[in-house]
Amino acid sequence: MSSQEMLRWINEQFKGTNQLTEKTLDYENKYIVLFYVKSMIDKALLQKIIIKPFFEMANEHQLRSYLLALPQFQKVESKEQLLFEITNGYTLVVIQDDLFLFDLKLSKNDQVNTTTVETTIHGSQLALSDNLLTNINVIRSTYHEPSLVTEFFTKGGANKQKVAMIYDKEKVNKDVLNIIRKRLQSVDKQVISATTQLNNFLNNKRFSLFPQMIMTERPDRIIYNIAGGKVILLEDGNPQSLAAPVVFFDFMTTMEDNYHTLLVSIFLKTLRYVGLFISLLLPGLYVGVTSYSPEVFRTELALTVAGSRIGVPFSSFVEVLFMLFFMELLLEASIRLPKVVSATATTVGGLILGTAVTEASLSSNIMVIIVSAVAISTFVIPVNEMAFSIRIVRFLLLVIASLFGLAGLALGLFVLIMYLVSISSFGEPYLRFYNFQKQKERTEEHI
Amino acid sequence: MSRFYYYLILVNMVSNIIASVPVILLYFHKEGAISSMILSVVVGTIIITVYTRFFNNFPGMTLPELLQKTTAKWFYNPFIFLLGILWFIAGMITLITFSFLLIRYLTPETPITQISLVLTISVIFGCLMKTNRVLYTIEIILILTFPLIFYIYLAAYSSKNLRWDFVKDAVLYFNQLPSFYAFSASFFLFLGVANMFIFNRFFTIKQKFGLKQIVFIMVTSTFALSTTYFIPIGFNGFEHIKDFIYPWISTSDSIRMKYFIIERVLFIFLLFYLGIAFLSILIHWHVSIEFFKFVFHLEKIKWKGVKIGIFLPLPFFIGISTYFVKRLDEYQLVRLSGIFYNSLSILFPLMIILFLFIKRRMKYAKNNEQN
Repeated sequence: MSSQEMLRWINEQFKGTNQLTEKTLDYENKYIVLFYVKSMIDKALLQKIIIKPFFEMANEHQLRSYLLALPQFQKVESKEQLLFEITNGYTLVVIQDDLFLFDLKLSKNDQVNTTTVETTIHGSQLALSDNLLTNINVIRSTYHEPSLVTEFFTKGGANKQKVAMIYDKEKVNKDVLNIIRKRLQSVDKQVISATTQLNNFLNNKRFSLFPQMIMTERPDRIIYNIAGGKVILLEDGNPQSLAAPVVFFDFMTTMEDNYHTLLVSIFLKTLRYVGLFISLLLPGLYVGVTSYSPEVFRTELALTVAGSRIGVPFSSFVEVLFMLFFMELLLEASIRLPKVVSATATTVGGLILGTAVTEASLSSNIMVIIVSAVAISTFVIPVNEMAFSIRIVRFLLLVIASLFGLAGLALGLFVLIMYLVSISSFGEPYLRFYNFQKQKERTEEHI
Repeated sequence: MSRFYYYLILVNMVSNIIASVPVILLYFHKEGAISSMILSVVVGTIIITVYTRFFNNFPGMTLPELLQKTTAKWFYNPFIFLLGILWFIAGMITLITFSFLLIRYLTPETPITQISLVLTISVIFGCLMKTNRVLYTIEIILILTFPLIFYIYLAAYSSKNLRWDFVKDAVLYFNQLPSFYAFSASFFLFLGVANMFIFNRFFTIKQKFGLKQIVFIMVTSTFALSTTYFIPIGFNGFEHIKDFIYPWISTSDSIRMKYFIIERVLFIFLLFYLGIAFLSILIHWHVSIEFFKFVFHLEKIKWKGVKIGIFLPLPFFIGISTYFVKRLDEYQLVRLSGIFYNSLSILFPLMIILFLFIKRRMKYAKNNEQN
């Protein structure tokens, strides 16, 4: 296909819109034509590296060599590529019959954000930006290995976003890489606007409770994961990345664990796991103990609990459900509300969940304490996605405990563990203990 | 040996307390319980050694696979089917015992059918998991429950209410001749190794199994067995110990934790032994379903393109165990377990002959391949 035909085709594609700008430069025996989408390009840069030199160069031959030498230069391979790159902020330069592409894209989103989701005290406070190339730059500039590979995909039928897959080709688990690549290629969706959406598109399951990939915005975590042989997915226009495959324990660690002294980080980890079990089991335990087997607790405690429930007109299950439900509402409201209004939500919520509810005898004092303990311990789970899943599991365990008592609660916990063991993230078991002294065991997946 | 191998053995050793083993042993407290225990430690260790060495020769191979290669179909199919039923019964006995325990001590108002159904349904889908996932589950639940079970042992041994005089009294009867019932009950502790029939699939690398490992297993089993037998005697006295239906429950209810939220150790015992029972049923029924898979080729059964074959045994498992939970009472359960243990203690030593046969045939097959 000749360049004239290509140009005609491009013009046809943009027909009826006033998007494409065509600019002809003609000065002393030099003649070039520029095509670009005005809103996408950096005009100052265009002026500086193409227009200005055009008027300074002696002849067209020199101009051509100059343009070819520019780092922004890119070859034209097909008309589809040409169209895609123009909509993407490239500038097309036509000299005689030759077409040259120049990356003059203007990015307003390449500023690196500060961490907002995974905040830490130690370590870097900077997160990723919204710009894919900046993100890759951030990653590359902290991971200096020639084996780091970046593969690009274009995803989303309508919005055609760039998705990058980054891994260390020497450390990565080859099977996982193949699975991810295959599934990524088969993703067929119209609009993909967030990296985390891929989490749902890649796991091949309609109903999945636990995240199969871990979302992170911290470059140090990304580097840590790449070095550990994981695959990182980034999407343009998104300050979050995904790492796969994951195991359950990934969701219970923060990057800070590596920065603290050993004992401190063991203490923090213990705290976190205790928090996990409290937030899972405490509501169920309350129901099981008050309604099924009050004799389990020591007599004084059993009497205190029973005494605190005097005047409460509900069964313990309704009481717990009522309080938990309001807590969840409050939590959800404070996430979604605009910052200006959210203070009201907490105040009102504090009134409901605080003393008023016990004074109205709708719930026992102990229940208020339990609900707050549960809420706080949910926040201890460091990765947000897991905290969401745990909130759902907590309700399931509560229902089981209400139906079958303490034994049901214990069984529910065992079944939860069994479920976590049985699911896998991209072929890797989701939950299992590793013996790191045995190198073989880590790499070898048994039957 | 891989740590997973020990888990298999350990679960059987620890879970005997909630099965009928202590009842049977204590029933024969004056008629040779101790000598049977000593005998069973010797025989059990030999069995464990032989079984482990045998499977070590064929890394990654299950018993049905070996039999398929070496024996005729008329022997292979009924034999594997019989093994499947045995393993099902082993799981069912644990299930029924624990259902009884729960209704007696934790939730007396819940109907027994409901209790056993909850137990069955929570375990049953786990049985369909892959063998390695079953082992991972075992590891995690063991690590969660074992510290507290160990604490219960510790609390029992250090309790003031444990009278060593009674224990000494019991030891005096060591000169009685062993009884077959008591022997097979205590022999059951060592049969965890038989799960290797299927679980050997996981051990694809040749393991080391020498004197150190054998001594370790012998010491642990002696400890487990003597705890099973002597602790209830130390707490409840020697003379009438055979009248107890749940000697270990009564024992654990004699232990108090003065400063903890939960005062009666009984409840910790019940809730954490629930974990062990869960594992025991999980292991046994997983092995059982795997055996049935070999006999009936369940993976190949399809209905409208969906592989429903592996789900076929589940209704039978649930139905039969629910029927027996309703049908049996405590006395019949102890009788049934006694008979079951007896048949195992005849069958499993005899299995060694089969092993020799398989080993010979396999060697022959290997030689043929080389030529």
